[in-house]
Amino acid sequence: MVAPVTIAWPHGRSAAVVITVAFEAELAILSVAPDATDRAKSLSVGTYGATRGVPRLLAELARRGTPSTWFVPSALLERYPEQVGAIRDAGHELANCGVALEDFGAVDTAVQLAMVRRAQEAFQHSLGVLPTGFRVGRGEMSPGLPAALEAEGFTWTSSLRGDDRPHFHAAPAGRLVEIPQHHQLDDGPYFAFNLDPPIPPGSPRIAPTGDVLDNWVTEFDAYHAEGLCFVLTLHPELIATPGRIGMLAQFLDHVHNRDVWLATAGEVARFWGEHGPANPPEHPVEVYHRIIGATTP
Amino acid sequence: MALAFDLDGPTGDAMLSGAIWDRPAYFSLGGYGPWRGLDRILRLLAERAVPATFFVPAWVVEHWPAQCRRIVEAGHEVGHHGYRHERYWDLSSSAQRAVIERSQEIFDRELGGTAVGFRTPSGDWRPETPDLLSAMGFSYSSSMRGDDRPYLHPCGLVEIPARSEMDDYASFAYTRNPDWPSGGSRIASYRATLDSWTREFDGYHAEGLCLTTIFHPKVIGTPGRAALLARWIDHMSAAGGVWFATCREVARWWRR
Repeated sequence: MVAPVTIAWPHGRSAAVVITVAFEAELAILSVAPDATDRAKSLSVGTYGATRGVPRLLAELARRGTPSTWFVPSALLERYPEQVGAIRDAGHELANCGVALEDFGAVDTAVQLAMVRRAQEAFQHSLGVLPTGFRVGRGEMSPGLPAALEAEGFTWTSSLRGDDRPHFHAAPAGRLVEIPQHHQLDDGPYFAFNLDPPIPPGSPRIAPTGDVLDNWVTEFDAYHAEGLCFVLTLHPELIATPGRIGMLAQFLDHVHNRDVWLATAGEVARFWGEHGPANPPEHPVEVYHRIIGATTP
Repeated sequence: MALAFDLDGPTGDAMLSGAIWDRPAYFSLGGYGPWRGLDRILRLLAERAVPATFFVPAWVVEHWPAQCRRIVEAGHEVGHHGYRHERYWDLSSSAQRAVIERSQEIFDRELGGTAVGFRTPSGDWRPETPDLLSAMGFSYSSSMRGDDRPYLHPCGLVEIPARSEMDDYASFAYTRNPDWPSGGSRIASYRATLDSWTREFDGYHAEGLCLTTIFHPKVIGTPGRAALLARWIDHMSAAGGVWFATCREVARWWRR
């Protein structure tokens, strides 16, 4: 079952692959258990991502020259300067996801924009980098945020789930590119775990590592056959254990052995901005926008 | 074998409460069904010449009419599934009747005909619902879980029961805000799920029963899961002696 390839990806490649990383450290715990500030064991679940996860993940990405895009809450820039410096120096893309994994669903567009701006200033101050992309850390972008981001100079977001290739946002953010992500291609829903406070809340069993590799390979093979844009999301504290990093290496070897365009989210957004077709009126973002249009700020 | 898909799109509790209008990402996840998943499923069904039934909230027909017309044009059946995926358990008889009348008008206008089949959104209905369905011209329901072959409700309505182990939500669905599953249970292994579905079919085949599915294009219609579905259908086709039919055809045969 192979659909006709309709996207002429760069270099004649059949499909695009974007590896994204959510470097959240202790904030991953604090965002769900804000009262854990004095709970050293629980916090150390996140700390591991900074101390062991980031170096191990950077080494794996360097092994085959895999590009990637890192979403870093700006509060971590001063807390972990060595790590974020190493990410930048390795040539990976850095992107904005707010300050400290705030729940964007709980605040309006103005507050969301204020946090995005604060994070941009921190990136420029700490690293001399001005991100061009944004992914919501927790919760949801308000319907009005895309237009505010475009006005702010951003060129892309990665926060929706309605497609398996990039698309544009609806007008008035019609040049802002969205690079959609999917839960099944994110290590969080498979591996995140803390005993107490319980994360996830129902304490489900941790997924078998080999099964997750099989899920990702099955999806990747189909994305490749259909010529789509495969977006993987990784958390250093989850994927960069000594065992799971080997699974990631197996997965990346499989990907590198296919004719895919491995690129950062920013590169894919630039390509789509120049070559991507306009959204058809039935696209979910267009349908949504028509319905709420009258109330969009 | 009555393959069936619930094309819910973004309808459901968050739309009924209005919460979805602050949640573009949650809407987009639902929109993936009619926008991408459906097309992929129609393609693999066409390649295998297998018919299916799509239970579609009429709101989805209103907002993706061209996509929904492709279901009918391909020879598949479209059944009733609420207007915005209402919980029939929560509705009075008159409210149930109003949802059905409004939805049938939309089906008639956009798809050129009304539904004869009914699958309860979110499962439960009121005790009076089957009588209402018979009175409103439905020939069958596919809402219950308590059998592995069709049967008749007392009012004469055919029931084609579906089973939770054949619901892709139970294995794969995953959303945030609202969180589903509420406890954060994992997305299941693809290969283990295909193995479970294959064993289930093999058992139905060996006993000569009637299997249907509660698959959702936004869930089963991702590139990788559609490939699983294709492998599962190929396994069933290779088994031999299987009648692939729409639910409407199964109901007609059972009544006779």
